[in-house]
Amino acid sequence: MHPATPPTTDASVGRSHRTSLPRRRLLRGLLAATVAAPLMFGAAACGDDDGGAADPNAPVKLSIFWWGGDARAKLTEDALALYTKKHPNVTFEKTWQANQGYFDKLATLTAGGNPPDLFQIDDNYLAEYAARNTTLDLTSYQKSGKLDTSKFPESLWQYGVVDGKLAGLAAGENTQGLVYNKTLLTKNGLPEPTTGMSWEQHIAWAEQVSKKTGVPGTQDPSADYKALWVWLRQQGKDLYKGSELGFTAEDVTRWFDLWKGARDRKATPTADVIHEGNSSDVTKQLVVTGKSATSWVWANQMPDLKKNTKDELGVIAYPGDPSAQWARASMYWSVFKGSKNKDVAVDVINFLNNDQEAVKLLGTDRGLPSNLDLRRVVSDDTTDPAMKQSIAVEAELTQKFGKSPQVPIKGHSKVKSELIKAAENAQYARATPAEAATQFIEACKAAIA
Amino acid sequence: MALTTAPDPTRRGPGTDRAHAERRGPGRLRHSEGLAGYVFLSPWLIGLMGVTAIPMLLSLYLSFTNYDILTPFSEVEWVGLANYERMFTADPSYWHAVRVTLTFALIAVPLKLAAALGVALLLNRAWRGVGLFRGLFYLPSLLGGSVALAIVWVNMFNRDGAFNSLLSLFGIQGKPWVNDPDWALETLMVLAIWQFGAPMVIFLAGLKQVPTELYEAASVDGAGRFRQFRNVTLPMLSPVIFFNLVLETINGFQGFTAAFVLSNGTGGPVDSTLMYTLNLYITGFTDLEMGYASAMAWVFLLAIAVITAIFFSTGRFWVHYSDGEDR
Repeated sequence: MHPATPPTTDASVGRSHRTSLPRRRLLRGLLAATVAAPLMFGAAACGDDDGGAADPNAPVKLSIFWWGGDARAKLTEDALALYTKKHPNVTFEKTWQANQGYFDKLATLTAGGNPPDLFQIDDNYLAEYAARNTTLDLTSYQKSGKLDTSKFPESLWQYGVVDGKLAGLAAGENTQGLVYNKTLLTKNGLPEPTTGMSWEQHIAWAEQVSKKTGVPGTQDPSADYKALWVWLRQQGKDLYKGSELGFTAEDVTRWFDLWKGARDRKATPTADVIHEGNSSDVTKQLVVTGKSATSWVWANQMPDLKKNTKDELGVIAYPGDPSAQWARASMYWSVFKGSKNKDVAVDVINFLNNDQEAVKLLGTDRGLPSNLDLRRVVSDDTTDPAMKQSIAVEAELTQKFGKSPQVPIKGHSKVKSELIKAAENAQYARATPAEAATQFIEACKAAIA
Repeated sequence: MALTTAPDPTRRGPGTDRAHAERRGPGRLRHSEGLAGYVFLSPWLIGLMGVTAIPMLLSLYLSFTNYDILTPFSEVEWVGLANYERMFTADPSYWHAVRVTLTFALIAVPLKLAAALGVALLLNRAWRGVGLFRGLFYLPSLLGGSVALAIVWVNMFNRDGAFNSLLSLFGIQGKPWVNDPDWALETLMVLAIWQFGAPMVIFLAGLKQVPTELYEAASVDGAGRFRQFRNVTLPMLSPVIFFNLVLETINGFQGFTAAFVLSNGTGGPVDSTLMYTLNLYITGFTDLEMGYASAMAWVFLLAIAVITAIFFSTGRFWVHYSDGEDR
């Protein structure tokens, strides 16, 4: 880091006058290198475009990239090994890492001309990639039956359609889940929250929990786009409408006000603790760090949360009318458009979603299996209690789900981080709810413009 | 860059004289010698070209485009000065990041240099075990911009971290330092200041070069410790101070790792740790606006160049090289 020069370095280099000839040569070399570089880039770009309809038994090495923890890695590796067993010519180059930094890495790999053939992606980024033609349109595979979605809920695979193209196939289904600390409540003789409680009721319940247990009743989710999203849908609004925002500054002001009230009543932790919980990291969710009685997560994260706490956890829908929630594709598998092994990659997606053995191996780690027949099989077979719980609540909610919203648009990742910023401004009392809301709307408009 | 001309008193020495002597040697040797020189330089040259120079030139080009990482180069659109215009007229978070970075550098750099000089003065004396202490004080800067260190820092300055436990011994109720928007940046400054080892070692080397005759003469003239420090040590040390000032200012502006780790890569809480380079990183890699991020990088480079130039132009008023040539 520190370019401390060793004391013996020859100081005369800068003063030298003898280099006219070599310097000219050097410049010429430089020029050559500058000219050659784009040529090399160009050559690399040309190499990409040979479809992949050759010999079906030729050896193929497919690169695959996902985010997740150790458990997911183990399950995924087992399922891929099963594919190799059935197709010995196909082997995998597997890369996985935590969610934080995953999309930075994926973007960098893509820019470097070395993207994975097959990658996991979620609705926060699907439109960003699809709009830039990075993902392969899977429609033709779906039509030819090579990608079988006949057992999928219609709305689930449609949640992968961006601008009329099937940009990714749902790897599983999940929905918003409010996770609470059952042990804490039972110990203090407090009632468990239930699906269908209004937001006011939820906050009143949380206030009661704070008073009785000393642990703040609920994480303040005002920085959480998925909570805002559900709340907006209950007001007849949405996060996006076409290429516009589906809400106004007044809506956001009301949302921030709702939670300011909750903070004032001590139903939530203090701003710095809320800030800790605003991280997307499962291990930092307040319900498992013991800093609040509830956390706002995705239902399929239950087993992962359970691994980080000794306490019993329960899960219900977010407050308000549960029909504001929908069958969300928890994440997708997408194929890189320039992949040399498109057909194989699509076949692997098909296998991971529709092969009974593979789906049983994968369980509900990426959400409920997309294939409804296999979802039933997995639900009957599972023994993991946390998994059972999340299946039960999702099965119950499936009856009540409303229509899926559109996939978030390009610029959504910025909108998400701007919401955190604006909400925290209100939480730390550096801005009034109205000021924070105005600031958020301005930033959103710039982000999606 | 400009740095290679930085006057560095540690570079004096017998080696220089020998080099001068050789250069005056027979002319016919020059050509083959020069070639050999470049051959030996080639690993570095190739590295410089491939890893630094070409990407830098590319980023200059990209700063005039709407490059978004995912779109191939061939489809990138030229947008002229739009990125620069947006930076200066329509991006409040850019100016916020500039403010955060300036605050950080203006406070952390002088304090770090003061700490480095103070400790160097203490360690310049000949007492037992001084070598051990020199090593211990240098240790933190060996850990440099490491992620592990930043993680330790975050845990030490949490609401229930070691620092607050220490405070509670004295009955003081601590704050959630790293999670408090009013204190998060200060926590980073303390981390930067604590890593004063590198400038300290350079100060030590500089102190060793101050001729003892000067102190003897000063004390004969009746100067006390403070006057000796002011009128002998500081002027004699000014080239080293200058060198450290330039380097640490540049380092200070480029602070990234600690801010990234502390805020989970967001610059939070509420953008309080949104350093320039972190903002640039988020713009390029999270928001996928690499063209805009490239423009930010170039403005940054120019700003640092200007600041360095200002240092150099004011240097002649307070940097004394009088001791240089008489050895």
